[in-house]
Amino acid sequence: MNKELEHSFVIQLEKNQNIVHKICRLYTHDQDSHNDLFQEITIQLWRAFPKFRGDSKFSTWMYRVALNTAITLYRKSKRRINTQDFESISFKIKAEEYDDTIEQQLKLMYGAVKKLNDIDKALVFLYLEDKSYREISETLGITEVNARVKMNRAKEKLRKILNP
Amino acid sequence: MDQLDKLKKEWQSREQELPKISYNDIYKMLLKKSSSIVKWIFIISVAELLFWIGLYFIIPEDNMKLMHEMGIGNIMYYANIIHFIVFGIFIFLFYKNYQSIQVTDNTKMLMKNILNTRKTVRYFVFYNVGMFIVSSIVIDSFFYTNSNKLYNVMDFASKGVPQENFANVFIIAQILVGIVVIGLLILFYWLVYGILLKRLKSNYKELEKMED
Repeated sequence: MNKELEHSFVIQLEKNQNIVHKICRLYTHDQDSHNDLFQEITIQLWRAFPKFRGDSKFSTWMYRVALNTAITLYRKSKRRINTQDFESISFKIKAEEYDDTIEQQLKLMYGAVKKLNDIDKALVFLYLEDKSYREISETLGITEVNARVKMNRAKEKLRKILNP
Repeated sequence: MDQLDKLKKEWQSREQELPKISYNDIYKMLLKKSSSIVKWIFIISVAELLFWIGLYFIIPEDNMKLMHEMGIGNIMYYANIIHFIVFGIFIFLFYKNYQSIQVTDNTKMLMKNILNTRKTVRYFVFYNVGMFIVSSIVIDSFFYTNSNKLYNVMDFASKGVPQENFANVFIIAQILVGIVVIGLLILFYWLVYGILLKRLKSNYKELEKMED
């Protein structure tokens, strides 16, 4: 039974691991911390898994546990300030649709999102992942109206960074 | 279309170059131990509870004998019973709050439950420090007003302690020890919880601010 549960969990996490990687990339500054956070999220997801009843999608449930771990539970071992890593972010783009401006803008936006505080970062991340305001408010535990207001402010901050 | 919305579309349509962790490596991670803040809070809190409870067991026999000889043995006995009942209540509250920490709650609720668990232990420490101060004041003033009896009971004469000024020296020594103990406690809390809870508190405040 336990083996079955483990297998089912690992299969689903392997399939949806991009969500966790994206969160790790936003909340950490180097590869070691990235791996560290990934492991902690995996442990937290696994511990909570027996209570996952499948009434929501595995990925929806994952967003909540992974963000909670990144924002609240994860203990940063060392605060390493590294601003170079934004440069290393790249997006897989097919050659024919390569657009230098968009690539640059994406990099710039990524850098801008990383500069936001932990909560704003979560808001913008969920927005970029196309989550509804209802889902965002339920994940963070704020009202839908406040999620909207806060998101508009965070967007405003981002726009300013993107268009100085 | 807004620049940000355009970027949102790009964000979703382009797959970022993300690492891929294999089935076997994920499987291995299930066996690893968590190093979450909740685990640390639990370890430190249990250590604090044990420390304060343990203090009662390492009080030397002589101390209780001294209290009896000074005529306050019974009062101390009943005070200790009340003390242990209060300890029991705190341990129950701590356990209940700790159990309520669920990673599947929403972020705000999770933070609130962690901070509540901490608060229970903080009040427990306040209670102990408060009791330490109050009982020191009460016992020391009692000893001060009965310094002759204390001098005789503790047989300071045979230890070569002169009786003159004894009461003043005794009380100053007690006060100095008290200040050092409280100073060390404050330093400990400032270091441990300052580091451990700083980020959590500021994030919780950020969420609270949204609801204003």
